[in-house]
Amino acid sequence: MSPKRIRLLIWKEFTQLRRDPLLIRLLLLMPVLQLIMFGYVVAVDVRNLSTAVVDLDHSAVSRKLESAFSSSGYFTITQHVASEDDLRPLLDRGTVKVAIVIPEGTQDRLTRGETATIGIIVDGSDSQVSAVGSGYASQIVAQFNTERRDALGIQVAAPSVDARVRVMFNPTLDPINTMIPGLIAAIMMISLMVIMSQAVVKERESGTLEQMFVTPIKATEYLIGKLTPYAALATAQMLLVAAGGLFWFKVPFNGSIWVVLAGLFLFMFTCLGLGLLISLVSRTRHQAQQAVMFIMIPTMVLSGFIFPIQSMPAIIQPLTNLIPLTWALQVLRGAFVKGSGFEALAVPMLALVGFGVVIFGAAIVATRRRISE
Amino acid sequence: MSETPAISVRGLTKTFGDFTAVDGIDFDVPRGEVFGFLGPNGSGKTTTIRMLTGTLRPKSGSADVLGEDVVRHPDRVQRRIGYMSQKFSLFEDMTVDENLRFYAGVYDLPPEKFASQREYVLNMADLVGRENELTRNLSVGWRQRLALGAATIHEPELLFLDEPTSGVDPVARRQFWDLLYDLASRGVTLFVTTHYMDEAAHCNRLAFIYRGRIIAEGSPGEIRADHMEQRIFDITTSPVDPALQWLETAPGVDEAYLSGASLHAVVPADSALSDASLRARLAAAGFADAEVAEVDPTIEDVFVNLVSRQR
Repeated sequence: MSPKRIRLLIWKEFTQLRRDPLLIRLLLLMPVLQLIMFGYVVAVDVRNLSTAVVDLDHSAVSRKLESAFSSSGYFTITQHVASEDDLRPLLDRGTVKVAIVIPEGTQDRLTRGETATIGIIVDGSDSQVSAVGSGYASQIVAQFNTERRDALGIQVAAPSVDARVRVMFNPTLDPINTMIPGLIAAIMMISLMVIMSQAVVKERESGTLEQMFVTPIKATEYLIGKLTPYAALATAQMLLVAAGGLFWFKVPFNGSIWVVLAGLFLFMFTCLGLGLLISLVSRTRHQAQQAVMFIMIPTMVLSGFIFPIQSMPAIIQPLTNLIPLTWALQVLRGAFVKGSGFEALAVPMLALVGFGVVIFGAAIVATRRRISE
Repeated sequence: MSETPAISVRGLTKTFGDFTAVDGIDFDVPRGEVFGFLGPNGSGKTTTIRMLTGTLRPKSGSADVLGEDVVRHPDRVQRRIGYMSQKFSLFEDMTVDENLRFYAGVYDLPPEKFASQREYVLNMADLVGRENELTRNLSVGWRQRLALGAATIHEPELLFLDEPTSGVDPVARRQFWDLLYDLASRGVTLFVTTHYMDEAAHCNRLAFIYRGRIIAEGSPGEIRADHMEQRIFDITTSPVDPALQWLETAPGVDEAYLSGASLHAVVPADSALSDASLRARLAAAGFADAEVAEVDPTIEDVFVNLVSRQR
């Protein structure tokens, strides 16, 4: 491998990029446009939120409350934990989105004619989930109170349960706080796949690809020379989105920059690999565009970027695990909004490693074989 | 000059799935020759070139290029060969100068060498003063010559040209062949594929490839002598189409086809037909203006004949 030839290839790539003013404008405009577009999200219905219950009262009232939640259809009770302290790791990992805390003595208080307070904790890092989820929770509690009064046949002033909703991680519930981190990953994916596949296919169309492999240029040198400029470009775009999000939209950043960088770096391999694979199956630039669309549509719909995964039908939900962006979003949103660290994000990080190794590895092997075939 | 041939191929075979693109071909190209590799589109010309340049791995057989086994050590050969395809393979969004600088860099040319080669190429391609133009804006003839310059910037001993003149007008084609002769006179071996049969006459040696097999090989004279037992009549008439139809079914005529503006009729070597008797038969059939002259077979005649025998 010759560093000199790699430098030459990178110089060539940037020279060509410079000659395409439209492309450069698009590359800068796309993130800005998407930043504005996705900054304002459509509210979406949320169903079957995974919910943990901390029942410290163990009474008829607490069981009734619990069943009011589970029969509503909006909450699925997946966990019963012994204390409030055990909730934090569950919320951190995203295992549950909502937690209901029924304190000791709730039934006694109601019997004594006092108002009883229960806690409802909502994961605010997914703003749609939290906004809609907390609304439903309050409704269910209000309904519970009405039914109880009706059953007792007493006057309006009867003691009732007071739901105190507490939104964790994203107290202002601003959708932009979760959109921006997602947008960083989505833009990286789009631009890497589009520009890179176009660049390789253009080279095949013009015959220069074929020409280069008659020269001493090695397949590995070619790949490094091709991937480096586009990785740099995607990084610049990400910084633009991040800067726009942090300084213009004032998205709070609670996490560690290293977690964000590690997640993006891992995800970048997947995107580069996808770009290469598209360029391999496409004979023309037009086909490459179609192939990008073919990948982007399910990615946008199923990753949870636009529509919350919780609102998808149960049969579809497992499919979202096959979308690399799903995991990148978990890492970025987790790190940005919740400040989650490597430990809490171990599963999505490992998923990104897996996708990166498989997709990037396959692309490299296939490209090398295609070239030296 | 060394006595090992520039190219020596034995039993070279390449398959793509069930399709055999190149089927056990053998040939030698002596150094310093202009070797014409002829065949219709899809006959295996490009596949052969790709194996000889080390970009495609053959299924079996051996290929020695400049004395090295190109199948096992393509890297030992790549620095010493040049390649120019019919697409010209220039970076169209880069300037003349940038293209030359890129290819010079690929072969790691020292700066002073690059300066002299650059000057030579710019003169040869008639591009002095247009160094900063994008190659996309050059017309075909200039692009073709620049591509030749880029492919030879490292002074290769052997140059592969894959249909270098396709899509180029006849004047530019002639000029291009002059440049190739110039290279040949400086000792560069040229391996040229083409489907223009008139270009075959420019070559010292020819090989015909058809459906992956070499069906004739030798100097143009040898090929004409060895493979053409039949006689050829050149017929000029107007319109040609009805006359062609009549000739195709006429008794005593093996084959008839268009050759340029006239028709060629192939008859057996022992045929009793003469210019006069064929003209009489044409006149009787209603082609009163037909002019007939027996001609020496051209390379194209030989090739048409060889292909029809293969079928």
